[in-house]
Amino acid sequence: MTPYANLLFFYLLALLLLPAVVLGLIGKPLQYYGMFFSIAMLCIVFGEGGQLPALIVFYLWQTALLIFFRRVKGKRPVLWLTIVLAVVPLALVKAGEVWSAFAIFRLLGVSYMTFRAIEVLLNLHDGTVKEVSLLRWSYFLWFFPSISSGPIDRYHRFQKDLEKGVPQKEYINLLRHGVWKLIGGAFSSIVLGGLIWQYWLSPLPEKGLLPTLFYMYGYTFFLFFNFAGSSSMAIGTGYILGIRVPENFSQPFFSVDMKDCWARWHISLSTWLRDYVYTRFAVLSLKRKWFQNPRTASYIGYVLTMITMGLWHGLEPRYFVYGAYHSALMCVNEILDLHWKNFRKWKRQGWRQVCCVLVSFHLFAFGLLIFSGRLL
Amino acid sequence: MEQKILQIIADLCGAEPNEIEPELNLFDEGLLDSFAAIQLVMALEEAFGISLDIAALPRERITTPAAIVALIREKQG
Repeated sequence: MTPYANLLFFYLLALLLLPAVVLGLIGKPLQYYGMFFSIAMLCIVFGEGGQLPALIVFYLWQTALLIFFRRVKGKRPVLWLTIVLAVVPLALVKAGEVWSAFAIFRLLGVSYMTFRAIEVLLNLHDGTVKEVSLLRWSYFLWFFPSISSGPIDRYHRFQKDLEKGVPQKEYINLLRHGVWKLIGGAFSSIVLGGLIWQYWLSPLPEKGLLPTLFYMYGYTFFLFFNFAGSSSMAIGTGYILGIRVPENFSQPFFSVDMKDCWARWHISLSTWLRDYVYTRFAVLSLKRKWFQNPRTASYIGYVLTMITMGLWHGLEPRYFVYGAYHSALMCVNEILDLHWKNFRKWKRQGWRQVCCVLVSFHLFAFGLLIFSGRLL
Repeated sequence: MEQKILQIIADLCGAEPNEIEPELNLFDEGLLDSFAAIQLVMALEEAFGISLDIAALPRERITTPAAIVALIREKQG
């Protein structure tokens, strides 16, 4: 059963959210019911898809790594070893999507859960998270609403929500927003996404320049409505459980450049990669003076970040090319920002700004065309 | 302290300290980007002997020189 995709899922979701609503409205804590809700939904969704044993193995694996790291934390090689081991299940699942020899490794949401697990390890290593309760970490790892398509929440933020709880009056507001996000997300993902798929993308011939161009526009809008809708439903469900899941999209098609695009599209992934790949690489290279020109660290940082982003989606060549394409765009964007003053001005001025928005949209849409696999 | 911070910002942005207004939005004005922000945080850590976790530091804490001064004061206790 795919989350947020059919009537039976929504029926079960509503049924299991009902006690949370009652608890929230009478001002009772939602944390423990939230855990029960997540376990119940995981059992239903993963059980029906035959992936429950894989989920349990994944959970035990990540838990063992966390316990191991908590005991021996401090040394950088141990951190790297633990991260590599934490990525192994994700790599096996991604390999299974490409090579049939690995096809037995299947696990819905493995990309999202892996990033959650790695974030905790990095925070423990940095000391920004001092202590991790196994119960709360487990809830964070298997938090059901955002397991299949994000957003990728942060452990620190998630814990704050659990500690603070939601006062009765605040919950009414959160519930109202949550319900609207669920309804709006369902409309966006199922109705708008479905209509674009059915009447725009499906009838297009597979080859030809013009059909490919129409496909590029159609796929861009399809992915936006489908993905932003799924994120909105996850956020709404999170709200109803008293968790303020972060936003994932902010009008991406109004971006004035590629950096702006990535600050508005799949925000939780791009900020995760910014914080844990780009920034860490930049800090390390600046501290160790790896490059004569410090800006080189930024360009290489973009290449590492964007290729990681591409490969996070899968190991097919198109995802690598998608990442490489965006790393090139980010580097060009930075060069223009640094060396062409007019570019900085134009992004904020009348019709020139409109031109920047249109160019950015087309560059981004072409990236999604690569991502779609129609070109490769 | 304010003067020292302004000097750090000015050095990074290639400007004179007296050109940097306390409420100037360094990102909106194109004086800082993600990479320059990292350089700024590292320079502040070194200059004031404090630790600022850049990954956990909200951007609004370093958006203006006034915000940066407030941040350093807070970190110095």
